[in-house]
Amino acid sequence: MTRQPVSSSANIGLSRRSLLAMLGAALSSLLPSGAFAAGSGALNIYSWPDYFSADDLAAYTKKSGVTPNIATYNANEIMFAKLNSPAGAGFDIVIPSSGWIRQLAEKNLLQPLDHSRIDFGALDPSLLNRDYDPGNRYSIPKDWGVLGVVYDPDAVGGEIKTWQDFFDAGAKPGVSGKIRMTKSASETVGPALWIAGKDWNTATVADINAVAPQLKDFAKHIKTFAGFDPQAMASGAIVLAQANQAAARGAMLQNPKLKWVVPGPQSEIWVDSYAIAAKAENVDQAYDFLNFFLSPAIQVKETEYLGYPAAITGLQGQLSLDTKLAEQIFGGPGVDFKSLTSFIVNPDTIGAFQDVQNQVMAAAGA
Amino acid sequence: MSALSLNRPADDPRIAGRASPRRATRRASDQLFAAVPALWLFVFFIAPLGFTVAFSFGHADFGGVRLGFTLDNYAKALSGFYLEAFLRTIRFAVTGCALCLAVAYPTAYFIARHAGRFRQVALLLVLVPYFTSFLIRVMSWQILLARGGPIEAVLNTLHLHVGPLDVLDTQTAVFIGLVYAYLPIAIIPLYVVLERIPATLVEASRDLGASSWQTFVHVILPLSRPGIATTVLLTGVPMLGELVIPSLLGGDKGVLMGQAISSQYIDSQNYALGSAMAVLVLLAIAVMVALLARLTRGFAEVSA
Amino acid sequence: MSRPALARPALALWYALVVAFLFAPILTSVIYSFNLGALNKQTSLFTGFTVDWYGAAWNNLQIRRAVWTSVVAAFWAALFAVLIGTALGFALVRHPNPNVRRLLAGLTYILLIVPETVIGVSLLLFYAVTAVPLSLATLIAGITPLAISVTALIVRAGVLTLDRRLEEAGADLGANRWQVLWYIVLPHLAPAVTAGALMSYVFSFDNLVVSTFLTTPSVNTLPVYLYGSLQYGPSPAVYAAATAVFAFTLLLVGLAGLFFRLIGKRRATLQSR
Repeated sequence: MTRQPVSSSANIGLSRRSLLAMLGAALSSLLPSGAFAAGSGALNIYSWPDYFSADDLAAYTKKSGVTPNIATYNANEIMFAKLNSPAGAGFDIVIPSSGWIRQLAEKNLLQPLDHSRIDFGALDPSLLNRDYDPGNRYSIPKDWGVLGVVYDPDAVGGEIKTWQDFFDAGAKPGVSGKIRMTKSASETVGPALWIAGKDWNTATVADINAVAPQLKDFAKHIKTFAGFDPQAMASGAIVLAQANQAAARGAMLQNPKLKWVVPGPQSEIWVDSYAIAAKAENVDQAYDFLNFFLSPAIQVKETEYLGYPAAITGLQGQLSLDTKLAEQIFGGPGVDFKSLTSFIVNPDTIGAFQDVQNQVMAAAGA
Repeated sequence: MSALSLNRPADDPRIAGRASPRRATRRASDQLFAAVPALWLFVFFIAPLGFTVAFSFGHADFGGVRLGFTLDNYAKALSGFYLEAFLRTIRFAVTGCALCLAVAYPTAYFIARHAGRFRQVALLLVLVPYFTSFLIRVMSWQILLARGGPIEAVLNTLHLHVGPLDVLDTQTAVFIGLVYAYLPIAIIPLYVVLERIPATLVEASRDLGASSWQTFVHVILPLSRPGIATTVLLTGVPMLGELVIPSLLGGDKGVLMGQAISSQYIDSQNYALGSAMAVLVLLAIAVMVALLARLTRGFAEVSA
Repeated sequence: MSRPALARPALALWYALVVAFLFAPILTSVIYSFNLGALNKQTSLFTGFTVDWYGAAWNNLQIRRAVWTSVVAAFWAALFAVLIGTALGFALVRHPNPNVRRLLAGLTYILLIVPETVIGVSLLLFYAVTAVPLSLATLIAGITPLAISVTALIVRAGVLTLDRRLEEAGADLGANRWQVLWYIVLPHLAPAVTAGALMSYVFSFDNLVVSTFLTTPSVNTLPVYLYGSLQYGPSPAVYAAATAVFAFTLLLVGLAGLFFRLIGKRRATLQSR
């Protein structure tokens, strides 16, 4: 006679009736309530997480009575996919990076901005009217970053001034295996193109494939492509890294030995920008929000919160005095803004860029 | 089983020629249990997947697909790089699955057969960590495994490791994370099956002179095969599509299938190629799973 | 015959190590939710103690809404998964027609095999073509299939260990099929179903990839928020939010467990009379 496992049911003690009663009560409390689903106030923003300071958002709510709904994406490409699909309706303000603005505009996913409704006065002219959005037809800069290299000069054994120095240093013992490169295809292939004297926006698929072998060869020195971790640099697990200036600042604050450079002959500047979706329903509210957040006082506070510089003139002088390493927020001294270019996503070449990136990442893990 | 059922007149087709009411409700319940899930899954899963298959034959358009018929995508998907990625992923999943099974089995065994009255508490204790966000736990592993972090400190104190710990962003860290993530789903099917093995069987085996180890190998292990098969399915197969853990703990190196497909869809906005890769992966894994299911069919029925 | 004596403590030690392994990151995330961090971001080294992040997490509307959406979506997904998954798991073993069983098995396995990115993109395009607006409902529908598969396979493992003669005995005593299922089969499947429910809730709550494609302005989930925060670095506020959710879930499960135990004791005493 087999053991009858009656004990397990008694232990769990499932009484059907009481179970159903409980479920019923739980269900009714978990029905999505109308108040939540509608959201209080009508402004929908699609952005990176944690990209506005809570204080400034609260200040805006107080002033306007509208609480913005902020949904988040974790890659520009996801934002593009969402907006590109009819199901991606409902967004008013989106925050694309400079590289994607042209594609979004070409697919009519953004509406042209009415310049008369926005105060451009405080914005830094050198960040306006750039090649990724001539005349700022669709976008206004929110904040910007430059691609550079942060490194430990002792481990690297010298200074880095150009991208060629970066690749040479990476092959040295003591540095090899402790390198971080970015996951972004343009920022991996870009430096190799610049060394070869090419421009990443006019490079052909052949050009891109031509630089692939040397990058794949370099891959064995790379430790990680993941998000920049200031801790890893501070502790010496990584001694040479591609990073943007604000992330590098985090590492440099923890380890003052580290040095930062924007290597020659060229490097990248990216500009995360405000844009209004083509099918936005709350356009007036959107302009109201933009004017509030573009005012210099708010921009200063946002810069201090995020660590990324807003695009207003004379920002550095307006930061509070106890901001540490303030210069680093702006890319350090002596940055030649004329040598900085923005990547513009080109459907003809993006596949090639990504293929090289995948090959490099695969080679690094072999 | 069949000998037993022939003893029951109501089920004997020669006697119960017309469908008895009891048989009718049995059929109704069986059909319902099959039909409702099938319908739900068809609407919310199969139909959308039909898009994927259609796209795989289409022409890539940045961020969309021009429907048509071409085999270019499949040609590219079968090229050297992606084939390597696929094989690499299989190796990865097999290792991960084996590790999971190795860690899970003794744990499930302990909970099912040695925890006595505290069985449910013991099982709950294993499941409790999963009530907190998965990503936060993986991010916490980043903190734990970092150089100069807590685990390095512990290992140094215990003299198990000297000097800085450089395990983060390596394959080792990925497998630690993988086992960590899939452990509960590995333990549960094993527990469910091991718990039902009657103690009387074990006693009988011992009475007949078998040692503890022999009893385990010849009685318990075979009876736990359905659980092992389920565990392999629930861990090994999803591991083939894993992309978060290799990214966060492995430095995003060594492109696996999940990442390759995701990259085609998201980074390259090439839905056609991504779909072709997905269909190929689906077919290959379906074949493997069918083989596995067939292998375990002989051990499917367990009756005490 | 020292083997049985050795086996138990060795297994107990293994179990203890596994539990420590499982809890290590939880403990870490709780501790680091009190970490001061640097420049409003989380750091691997503990830089200072503060409880401010809990307040910051509460004030952060995005986090609060994301957490609530995740909880609601996971609950409904788990509910559907239990109902549909249990039926499916049972049918996988007991449907009289072997071809139907094979078809269902294929369906269940496919759910596990398909990469989530593929499901996500397919659903996004599917809803676009069928003109169904994205909402909480479409999010729940999108994350349920995986939970259904997991539940079905766990329940299937449980059904395979069922003793059919118990059901036949019940039928002999005059119970109809539904009564047999309700009073005999379901209690025996209780551990598997409960496990399936728990796992479904957990996996649905943590769902990242499919959710990414199905979020809308008013429907954002915690994992999507978290994963996005990795780009510029997470702040300890999300750790605080996660710890709060964890504590809350523990409380709920603890209360539920207590409730069931009380019911069980009452039934046991009733039955013994």
